[in-house]
Order: sequence, then C-alpha cells, then structure tokens
Amino acid sequence: MRALLPLLLAVPLIVVAAEPASLIRATELKQEPATDAATVARLPENAAVQALERKGGWIHVKAASGEGWVRLLALRYAAGPARQGDSGAKQLFNVARTGTSGTEVTTGARGLDAEQLANARPNPAELAKMGAFAAEADAAARFAAQGKLMATNVAYPK
Amino acid sequence: MRALLLLAALALATPAQAQFRLPNVDFNRMVDKVKQVGKATMEIKEPEEIEIGRDVAARLLGAAPLLANAPLQRYVNQVGRWLAAQTERPDLPWRFGVLDAPQVNAFAVPGGTIFVTRGLVERMASESELAGVLAHEVAHVLKKHHLKAIQKGAQTGLAGEALGTALRERAGPERDKLIAFGTEMYSRGLDKSDELEGDRLGVVIAARAGYDAYGLPAVLQTLQAMNAQDSALALMFKTHPSPAERLAALDKMQATLDAYAAQPQLVERFVAQTRR
Repeated sequence: MRALLPLLLAVPLIVVAAEPASLIRATELKQEPATDAATVARLPENAAVQALERKGGWIHVKAASGEGWVRLLALRYAAGPARQGDSGAKQLFNVARTGTSGTEVTTGARGLDAEQLANARPNPAELAKMGAFAAEADAAARFAAQGKLMATNVAYPK
Repeated sequence: MRALLLLAALALATPAQAQFRLPNVDFNRMVDKVKQVGKATMEIKEPEEIEIGRDVAARLLGAAPLLANAPLQRYVNQVGRWLAAQTERPDLPWRFGVLDAPQVNAFAVPGGTIFVTRGLVERMASESELAGVLAHEVAHVLKKHHLKAIQKGAQTGLAGEALGTALRERAGPERDKLIAFGTEMYSRGLDKSDELEGDRLGVVIAARAGYDAYGLPAVLQTLQAMNAQDSALALMFKTHPSPAERLAALDKMQATLDAYAAQPQLVERFVAQTRR
C-alpha cells in the first residue's frame, strides 16, 4: 500500500506542469477564464500551446502570441509518450513498486484485461468487504456539506 | 413478440393434437411455459437486478481485488453515494470500490455497484474528476445499460426457459452461464450510444451534486493524451468510443457545462484523501 503513495502525491504536480497541446478550432485567447473577459489574441486552428492548470471549463495556456485562457473543449493534449504525464507517472509507479525502473510491470500480473475477466472466479470475501465500505445517504450528505457542495436542479438533456 | 408467435403456433397446432388425441401433450403446460418465456424476456425485476449485480461484482473482484486502502474506499463511497442521491434511483444499495489494478477503467454493474481502477484514480487531479467518472457509471446503472445487454445476450446464449431458471435460482449451471456472460460483457463493451448517453447524463448528475461540471471532460482529455498503445488502456479503448470522439460529443453539452463550471473542484480534499 505504501508503494502507491508517491505516485498519488505526484499526480497533481504532473497535471499542473506545462504540457504540449493544440487547438481543434480557431479560438479566442482570453485574459481571464470567462467568456466576457478581454481577448488577448485569436488563435488559429491547430495552434500549438503549452497547457497549464484548469479552472472550470478553461485551460490556462501559453501561446506564441501570449498567455491566457482557452476553452477546455477546444483544446486537445498532444498524444503519446512525448507527454510527460503517462510514461513519467508509470515510471514513478514502477520505481515505487519494484525498486527498478523497468517497464515490464505496466502490463500487470493480474488485473482487468479481457482474458482475466473471462477466467475470473467469484471472490465473495471481497464483495462482503466492499459492502462494509458503503456510505449511508445522510453521511454522504454531511460529507457533501463539508466540501461546500450544494445540490441543485439540473434537467437531463432533451 | 416471439412468445406471441409461439402461442399463435401452438393455438394453430391444437386442433390437430385434439384430432389425433396425443396422450403426452399437455396443452396448458405448454402455454404456461410460453408465458414463462415471455415473462423472462420482458422484465428483470429490481431484486433480480441487484442479485445479478452482486454475482457479477464478485467475479470482477476475482479478476482484481479492492485496493487495500480503507479510508480511500470510504471516501469514494461518500462521493458516489452523494451523486446517486441526486438521481431517480437514490435507494439502490449503491457501492463504490477502487480496484487494485493498473489498467485505466471504470465499470458499472447492475443494481448499483460501481468500480474504478487504481490506474484511473491515479490519473485524476480533483474530486470533481472522480465525481465525473462515477456519475458516468451511475448513469449506466440508471439506464440499465449493462442489464439490458446481459439480458439480450442471455436470450441468444440461453434457451428461453433456461434464462428464467438462471434468474430464479442463484446456484446452478444456468446461473453460472448467465453470470459468466455478464462478466464477459465488460470485455465486449456497450453500444457506443450508451457510452455517449453515460457521458451526457454523467455531466448533469455531477452538476446536480454541486461539482464543477467539467470533471468528466477533464478526465477524457487526460485519457486522450495518453499513448493509445499503452497496455493499461487496451480494454478501455476497445470498449469505449475514443476520448476525442467523446469530447467532441460533449460540445452539445457546453451550455450545461458552462452553467456549472464554477462549482467546487475540490482539489485539496482529493489530494488529501488519495495521499493517505
């Protein structure tokens, strides 16, 4: 269990680090994360940016024409190992777990691949354990209040 | 429908049977059987849904056990239960679990059992992201997406009467077959339209619970940025539309997303809870 801690600690740091991304459509670069904020620049489709943190539906980015905020849904992170998040996190995990930086652990000796699902035998002991962790509705409501989460009416689409 | 046709066929056959006075044909019994088949194909009642779900959940836990971190398991249950309380099925026996598996995935089991893997939780940055993923899975339970798929598949795999037996009797070869099929479904995946509906409803459920509505899109962006060849993603990518396609589909939800974008992300609480 302790082996997991370094990775979980590291995740938020990885997320706020600048990451290469690009825009899937022409987008306004805003001074603040808001539609009515001043426009710093107009970024063309496919413009390359460095993505920083997220605030609601906005991502803080550095672009060639300046720094500001773009809509989350207009941005896609660069895919693949070039992005620090995945391979970096995975290596951390391997170091933590095995003491080596080998990559063979990523496949996992057990877990949730198609073959393992097909061959799974029931584990009633784990099922019982899971029941013990269940939260009652009133406890969940107190937990929500502690986080200042306010229930609100939102209609389903259509 | 098929039951009706069978009934019609039996009705047509009756005069011939009467004419030849076949001693071993019990017409009433045959009609009962046809009715039974019809019943089994029409509706699985909520207690049966919950029992099927428990059996399928036990199998999934056989593939990967719970992560041995009780405070984290309780935390995830509180987030999930709060989300479920905002829906039309608040009183199901909702259970949430983090599976000790490096793969990146989440699963909704009929009757209110939901799993998320350690591999996915490790890649989240806030409680609103966790809420977005759990809300997507809650939506699958609400819409009975897996239950319907299991039922549809079981009708092909098990003869009509055998499905009825599998639903009624919790031990036996028919039951084993049904549950094995139900577990394998998580390797095959749902229809794409079910996944996209899960995303749309998930955004709404997270917003209702007071979370920053962009939690789920933010997770989809993280997934989209991962190397598609990463073995940890293989099953999820096989069973879901691509993250890019799911993000594009959420463009339609932009008004809802923006209306609830300023609600709490709860980064600090998430970090504190996942670090323990």
